[in-house]
Amino acid sequence: MMEDDFIPVRVSVNGVPHRLFVEPRRTLLDMLREDLELTGTNAGCEHGSCGACTVLLDGQSVRACLLLAVQANGHEVMTVEGLALHGRMHPLQEAFWEKQGLQCGFCTPGMLMTAYELLQQNPDPGEEEIRSALSGNLCRCTGYQHIVEAIRLAAQRLREEAEAATPSGTTA
Amino acid sequence: MKPARFRYFAPHTITEAAQLLDEQGDEARLLAGGQSLLPLLNLRLARPSALIDLNEIQALAFIHPRNGGLVLGALTRDATLERDPLVAARQPLLAEAAHYVGHLAIRHRSTLGGSLAHADPAAELPAVMLALDAAFTLQSSTGSRTVAAAAFFKGPFQTALQHGEILTEVHLPGLPPRSGSAFLEFARREGDYALAGVAAVICLAEDGTIAQARLALCSVAPTPLQAIAAETVLRGRHPDNAAWQAAAEAVVDELKEPPADIHGSAEYRRHLAGVLTRRALARAAQRAERSHS
Amino acid sequence: MTTTVSERAWIGKDLKRREDPALLMGTVTYINDFKIAGMLHAAVLRSPYAHARIRAIDTSAARALPGVQAVLTGKEAAEVIGPVPAFCAEPVVEHAIAVEKVRYAGEAVVAVAAESRAIAEDALDLVEIDWEPLPAVTDALSAMQPGAPLVHENLGTNVVYDHVFTFGDVDGDFAQADHVIRRRLRWPRATAAPLEPNGAVCAYDPARDTMEIWSNTNMLNSASWVMSSMLKIPPHKLNFYPMYTGGSFGSKHFLAKVIGIAGALTKVTGRPVKFMEDRLDNLMANDSQGPERIYDAELAVTKDGQFLSLRLRTIDDYGAYFIFAITGNTNMMAQITGPYTIRSVETGIKAVLTNKNQQTVFRGAGSDVGNWVLERLVDAAAEQLGIDRVEIRRRNFIQPDQFPYKIPTGNVYDSGNYPGVLNLALEHFDLDAWRQEQARARQEGRYLGIGLATAQQRSTYSSTEFWFHNPAPATGLNSTPESVRISVGPTGGVTVTMFSPFWGNSPETVAAQVVAEELGIDPRDVNVTYDSTAHALPSAGPGGSRMTVMLAGAVHGAAARLKEKIFKIAAHMLEASVSDLELVGGQVRVKGVPSSSVSLADIGMRAYWFKLDLPPELESGLEGTFTYDHPYTTKPHDDRKDLGVFYPIMGHAAHLVAVEVDIETGAVLFKKYVAVHDVGTVLNPRSLQGQIRGGIAQGIGLALLEEVRYGPDGQNLTSTFVDYLLPSASDVPAIEVYHQETPSPFTAYGVKGGGEGGRMVAPPAVTSAIEDALRPFGVSIDEMPITPEKIVRWVKEAQSRRQGQSN
Repeated sequence: MMEDDFIPVRVSVNGVPHRLFVEPRRTLLDMLREDLELTGTNAGCEHGSCGACTVLLDGQSVRACLLLAVQANGHEVMTVEGLALHGRMHPLQEAFWEKQGLQCGFCTPGMLMTAYELLQQNPDPGEEEIRSALSGNLCRCTGYQHIVEAIRLAAQRLREEAEAATPSGTTA
Repeated sequence: MKPARFRYFAPHTITEAAQLLDEQGDEARLLAGGQSLLPLLNLRLARPSALIDLNEIQALAFIHPRNGGLVLGALTRDATLERDPLVAARQPLLAEAAHYVGHLAIRHRSTLGGSLAHADPAAELPAVMLALDAAFTLQSSTGSRTVAAAAFFKGPFQTALQHGEILTEVHLPGLPPRSGSAFLEFARREGDYALAGVAAVICLAEDGTIAQARLALCSVAPTPLQAIAAETVLRGRHPDNAAWQAAAEAVVDELKEPPADIHGSAEYRRHLAGVLTRRALARAAQRAERSHS
Repeated sequence: MTTTVSERAWIGKDLKRREDPALLMGTVTYINDFKIAGMLHAAVLRSPYAHARIRAIDTSAARALPGVQAVLTGKEAAEVIGPVPAFCAEPVVEHAIAVEKVRYAGEAVVAVAAESRAIAEDALDLVEIDWEPLPAVTDALSAMQPGAPLVHENLGTNVVYDHVFTFGDVDGDFAQADHVIRRRLRWPRATAAPLEPNGAVCAYDPARDTMEIWSNTNMLNSASWVMSSMLKIPPHKLNFYPMYTGGSFGSKHFLAKVIGIAGALTKVTGRPVKFMEDRLDNLMANDSQGPERIYDAELAVTKDGQFLSLRLRTIDDYGAYFIFAITGNTNMMAQITGPYTIRSVETGIKAVLTNKNQQTVFRGAGSDVGNWVLERLVDAAAEQLGIDRVEIRRRNFIQPDQFPYKIPTGNVYDSGNYPGVLNLALEHFDLDAWRQEQARARQEGRYLGIGLATAQQRSTYSSTEFWFHNPAPATGLNSTPESVRISVGPTGGVTVTMFSPFWGNSPETVAAQVVAEELGIDPRDVNVTYDSTAHALPSAGPGGSRMTVMLAGAVHGAAARLKEKIFKIAAHMLEASVSDLELVGGQVRVKGVPSSSVSLADIGMRAYWFKLDLPPELESGLEGTFTYDHPYTTKPHDDRKDLGVFYPIMGHAAHLVAVEVDIETGAVLFKKYVAVHDVGTVLNPRSLQGQIRGGIAQGIGLALLEEVRYGPDGQNLTSTFVDYLLPSASDVPAIEVYHQETPSPFTAYGVKGGGEGGRMVAPPAVTSAIEDALRPFGVSIDEMPITPEKIVRWVKEAQSRRQGQSN
């Protein structure tokens, strides 16, 4: 393998800038897992059907197995490792814990990233909307219901947090 | 499941991309959204010598109004089609159909031009192009030409694109007033490839009869299929259940040998095409009437 | 029958799982996340043919590729590893890498170890094989025909097992019957398809002749001696490490091939090797496909709807190998007569080998099939006799005062209250309202259906089920223990050590909950760890819905031993008699004198570091170990007219389902789903509900979507997740789950296993609902998956039948 097979990539992952050299054929998934040792993102099918490797690219959900690592050059990636802040779980993670929205945990990082994006776009999704948003993320353990409940709970808490953060007196 | 080796280029202009395509030869492929190509690479079902990545070409990602219709850059993402207000206003059929493409994480990457150039007979957007009477700009290092959607799709995964050409723009004419459209498909699961899908456009005359109907189907033939016989059946008729039934029968008659796989036989797809035709036309007509009232 | 739940501090509480924070933050190490210095990556070349002889393999170009460290053909691998361990008595030999011929499309032919997975796959591209394709047999009926191509020539037949078991006077009971209900039923081949495929990292140390193995096998402790013959290393020189497992559902019991491939490659390279299946590897060659059966089933019934006897004949497509023998058929004999007082049963089993990936176990392990077959017959009996589907079940239920109840096969049901479960389900479902809704919808041309299943969910297997189908004296394995170690450290910290891995269930939470209950401490203060097989106590590992029962028993037992020592030391410290002491909130105190107490920390420090201040007969340290054996199992009789007690911890469930069927497209929409389960005392309601709902989702998958398909040439047509359809969030409805608690008299706290019940009961309930929706057309459903296409076809056929009759 010659050095010039490799292409330089600058990428920010969970706010941390990285510079590395990758083979063009390396997927974003393998770069995250193998080169950056961020193994929270799991490889479930590597053909874009299971959603286990869902991460955010510039804030939008993508399947890390269906992007080349070189395509992340100059972009920002967020993975499950970026959800918790200073070791404290994100409200979504807390809600998944409370509602047992996981069993084996393998699909969970992808589920969390999909749910994170959903709540960014729609702070109060209904059950049908949640199920539709999750329909590209397969879970073989839970039957989905506890995941749906967890997302609703997290949505409610995030709304409450947002309301609490709004300065009082803005509504007449 | 890792791709075989390939060379990689990320040009910033269409000219540069076209030059690279010439230089890199027959085994080079263009990479747009990659949501069909990457699985093929990972499975080593595709082994291009080089990938020319179009994603850095800003000039390919736009949506412009033109003559009551739209011009769209080939790199327009399906997630954009789904949400763009101009698309919703001028060609809601495109927005409605784009929503059926995979799942949101796919649609954030998958592109209009990629879907058309890939020409999967099961894909939604090629059928929509037929229903909307689209034309495509194909550009190469030596110039460009325009091809009507009706002349573009040649077979499963086969198009009028020659090696060295890049599909750069999609032109959609505007719809007359009193028009309505609908896209419907049936798949085993949400986001799966359709077993049959129907794109329908109904334009009503002053007297409330059908001035023009356009109907195109996916996943029931080797290419997306414009149902010309059914369109003819509908012209001048009153928009009612009998008309939809007649059109559905014409569609079913027109389908010679729909593709068959483990998810649906040819017979079932033909049956679904009829059912969905009826339902899609009824919905399109309803919307046409509503657009007027 | 109510338990004294209120007296318990932690059992029965909705505890958040202690496994979850690491899983949620992505910090857990699954096998694919595991790395070790110098590790190579393996990839496997798979057969493009379903049946072919390997004439020659040229691996020279692959070997020459930079970065490649080893290339092994089956023949070369056979020099360093033996065949895959098999539990069958028949001479069906499987190798981790095929030798001489391949027997299914996707069978491993060459394995490569290289510096990266991508390079290993590059090397596979360079391998050239001279094949001699052979005709393939891809369905059991053809494989049984004389002259059919033989999957294993040495057997002389593809019918690898053929036996009829008779329990009770079946002929006599059928002679007495007023009606015999007959159906030919087909159960489709499905597969577990956990989101995480199988994987192993093996590291061979030639100097010591030892091997360390990290893998997601569930049966670590069995694996270490079972794999020894394959790896050609004595069991005590193998050390298996437990890993967090991304789902199994029965598919990760041994993983012999994955371990064999990584094991062979580490032996020849002297470097650690990881073999991680990708999705293609897993879907083509996981060795864990579910049953594919054709049943001729008969139920003998009296005119008032009393079930007398059951007669089954099955042809089961086992695929190309037979490592677990007919375990998928023996398993269902634990509950073959369901919740009903059927007094005799006959079951004939023909196991047939074909050119497909082999069948072993998938959640339900064949009892799922038995439930569906029996419930299909019960629905058919109701229809034929004109008795309501609820009523006919009521007439045949084993009554609460009849337990323990011995069924004709010899298995014993420990406890139950089946009418109670059904009543609870009816109450929550509101059957009358749905029947009205159904009638109203039919007037509008819509088709609603109501489905019902009342069925068993056996738990806590005994290893006698692995071999009792062989007609020989009862000399097989008969232990299925589970062990734990609980230690209290010198500062009072409590640690539970387990010897079976996490596989998506909640063993750590269960262990912490039970130890907290017994020691009167907070479960959050308990540490739970796993240990490798080098340090393990006897433990059979998860499978057959046993872990909650067995862990509860083991922790309960170990806590009792630990408490004995705690009390002895405390009695010494408090100058009191042991019988006067109690353990409350982590303090040992003299009953009635709260001021006179010592803490676990005091006792721990005394136990570890103050030997001269201990009662003289005690050794230093403070731990309790306990090996909990199966609570109730007996040997089969030599004549096999009685199989003994092998699955006595018997749960039960009733599912009521309402669906709407779009007869034009064939789409099925769930309107309501109620599931009532009785798995004895509930340890953690939320976890149990998760297991039930997840199981129901898999059952819905089986009923509507999932099927492993092979083409006529034996190609696997479902080798990706594009084609093997797992149910998504849009396919599964919200499911109302309720519990009835009828404790087991044989287990700690009265718990029963609940891990498989959802999947065992949903298929008959969903089938029943769709059949009910299509009742106006007279459609009877005898197969799954019930695809939209089949629904449309059945309706059309029924309509044209009607037209034919009216013309």
